[in-house]
Amino acid sequence: MQELIVTVKGMSKAFPTGEGEFLALKNIDLEFGKGEFTGIVGPSGSGKTTLLNVIGSLDVPSSGEVEVLGHKVSKLSARQSAELRSQHIGFIFQTYNLLPVYNVFENVEFPLLLLKLNSEERRKLVNEALEWVGLTDKIKSRPAQLSGGQCQRVAIARAMVKKPSLVLADEPTANLDTENSLHILKTMREINLKTGTSFIFSTHDQKVIDFLTRVIKLVDGRVAADDLQTGA
Amino acid sequence: MIFRLALRNIIGNGWRSLINVFIIAIVMIGMIFMESMYHSWTLLAKTQQKEWEFGKGMFRVNSYDPFDAFSWDKSFEPLPDELRPVIERQEAVPILFSPGVIYPGGRMIPCMVKGIPADQTLLNIPSSRLVERTPGYTPAIIGQTMAKSSQLEEGDILTLRIKDVGNAFNTLDLEIVHIMNTPVPTVDGGIIWMDLSTLQELKQAPSMVTAIALQDPSLGVLSLPGFHYMDEKALFFDLDEMMKTETVQKYITYSLLMFLAMIAIFDTQALAVFKRRKEIGTLTALGMSQRQITTMFTLEGGLYSLFAIGMTAILGTPMFWYFATTGYIMPEGYDSFGILGFMEPIKMSYPPLMLLQVFSFVVLVSVVVSWIPARRIARMKATDALRGKVV
Repeated sequence: MQELIVTVKGMSKAFPTGEGEFLALKNIDLEFGKGEFTGIVGPSGSGKTTLLNVIGSLDVPSSGEVEVLGHKVSKLSARQSAELRSQHIGFIFQTYNLLPVYNVFENVEFPLLLLKLNSEERRKLVNEALEWVGLTDKIKSRPAQLSGGQCQRVAIARAMVKKPSLVLADEPTANLDTENSLHILKTMREINLKTGTSFIFSTHDQKVIDFLTRVIKLVDGRVAADDLQTGA
Repeated sequence: MIFRLALRNIIGNGWRSLINVFIIAIVMIGMIFMESMYHSWTLLAKTQQKEWEFGKGMFRVNSYDPFDAFSWDKSFEPLPDELRPVIERQEAVPILFSPGVIYPGGRMIPCMVKGIPADQTLLNIPSSRLVERTPGYTPAIIGQTMAKSSQLEEGDILTLRIKDVGNAFNTLDLEIVHIMNTPVPTVDGGIIWMDLSTLQELKQAPSMVTAIALQDPSLGVLSLPGFHYMDEKALFFDLDEMMKTETVQKYITYSLLMFLAMIAIFDTQALAVFKRRKEIGTLTALGMSQRQITTMFTLEGGLYSLFAIGMTAILGTPMFWYFATTGYIMPEGYDSFGILGFMEPIKMSYPPLMLLQVFSFVVLVSVVVSWIPARRIARMKATDALRGKVV
C-alpha cells in the first residue's frame, strides 16, 4: 500500500465575516500518498488555496483533523509549524514570491540557510536544483531581471532544493504563457518522477490538469470528485 | 543566519538603506560635536579658571561670602605662618579682597579691589606689571571688560577710596598700567588688581589676606584657623551647576536629533510591514518562525546604526580633527557675554567613553524603534501576509 503523507479527516475551515462566519471548507476527507502528482481543481472561491494553506500548516482547521507527515497540524505550535515547513514542505506561489533583494542563487539557498547547512552543502544543493530547472547561467541575476517563466523556475528550485517530502503549488502557471507553463509543468513532473516528492497543486488551468495523475474537484468547499488520471 | 539575512536585506535595499545610514550618521556627528563641545568647553573653562583665579585649590577666610557684599569689608585673616614658605616658593598666592570705589574723570564706580603679590607667578594675572610706577601713583591692572565698562585706558589716573579696618576712608591715586586680556570674567568685571602690600597698607591690615590660591591641593589638609579649604569640586560648584542646566538643553537637542534619525528608521521598518508583507508571508511559508522574522527586522534597524558609526567615522573625522587642532572659535561678540571659555578657541576633545555613550545610545534607540514595527510584523498571519493583507 502507498505510504500516506497527508491525511485530512472531516476537516472544515471557517472564516469570520461581518454577519457570522463563512465556511470555506466543509467536512473534507482526503488522503495523499508519497510521490503523487495531484491537483485540487475548482472555480475561484471553492477553497483550493485554503486547503493548501492548512496542509502547509500556514493555517489551522476549524474542526476535523489534518495530519502532515505524522504531525497533527492543529496541535503544532507556531515554532513546530515553522520547523515542519522548513524541513519537509516546499511552496510554489502564483506570483513566485521571490525575495527581491536576493539574486537567484541566494533565493534558492534561503531554505537551506534555515536548515543551517554548511556553505559547501548549500552550494552543491543549490547548483543541483538550478540544474533541474535549467537556470545555472542566471545565478547572479535578481528576480527583477528575469522573465515570469524564469522566476517560477527559480521558485521551483527554491521549493525543491531541500528535497522536501511535499511541494504545495498554488496556481503555479496562472501568470505564465502556454509555452512557459508547459516547460514548468514538465520540469515539476520530471522532478516528481526523479525524486519521489509529492506535489499538490491548486489550479483551474486545463494545461496543469492534463499533467496530473490525480484530480480532486472542489465545489463550494466540498469534494465533488476525486479521480485518478492515466497518461499524464 | 538571521544576521546575514538582515545584512543582505540592508544591502539589497540600496539607496534607501544608504539614506537611512547617512541620516543617522549626520545625527551622530551632531551629537558627538555637541557632546564634545560641552565637554571641551567645561574643561577649558575650568583650566582657565584654575590658571587665572583658583590654582588647584584655595583657602578662603570663613567670613567671606561672595554673595554678601556686606561681608567683604571684614573678610580677612592674618596670613597663616604654615603657608609662608609655600608662598615664597611661588607655590601659593595670597590675595586680599576689599570693596572700594573709584572716581575716574569725576565718575563714581563701585568695585572690588584685589591685592596680589607683584612677584607671584602661579596665577596668570600679569602682576609683574604692578611694579611699573609713575612717581606719585600706585600701579593698577584691570581687565578689558572692566576697561570697557568704566571707559578706562592704559595710563589713566583715577582715585581709589576704600574703608580701612578702623572704618576710616582712605584714598589713593592709581594709574592703570596695564589692561589685561583675560578669558575669565570673574577676574575682570568690576575688579581692580593692585599690589598686595600696598592694599594691606591702605586698608591698615598688614599681613591680612582673604584667600590663598594653591598649586598643591594636598595642602588642603592643613587646618588653618579662620580659613576653610575649597577643593576643585567646591570651587567649580557654580560652573558645574550651570553645566547641569545646559545638560537639560543638550538632551532636548539630543532628542530632536534622535527623533529625526529614528523617523527614518521607523519609517523604513513601519513601511516594511506594508511594503514587505508578501515577503514576510513568504519567509513564514519557507519556514522562518515569527521570532526569527521579528529578530531579523529588529536587527535590520540596529544594523543601520552600526553602519552609521562607520559613516560617522568617514564623514566626521575631518571635522572632528579640524576642531581638535584649530579649535571652535566663538562668533564675534560672544567674548563680551562674560562667559568662561568663550574668548579662546575651544579645542575639542573626544574621550572614548563619550563616543561609546553616543554610539551605544543611538544603537539602542535604533533597535527599540525597529522592534516596535517588528512586533507588528510578528503578529501578521502568514495567510494574510501572502494575500497582501495587513494586520
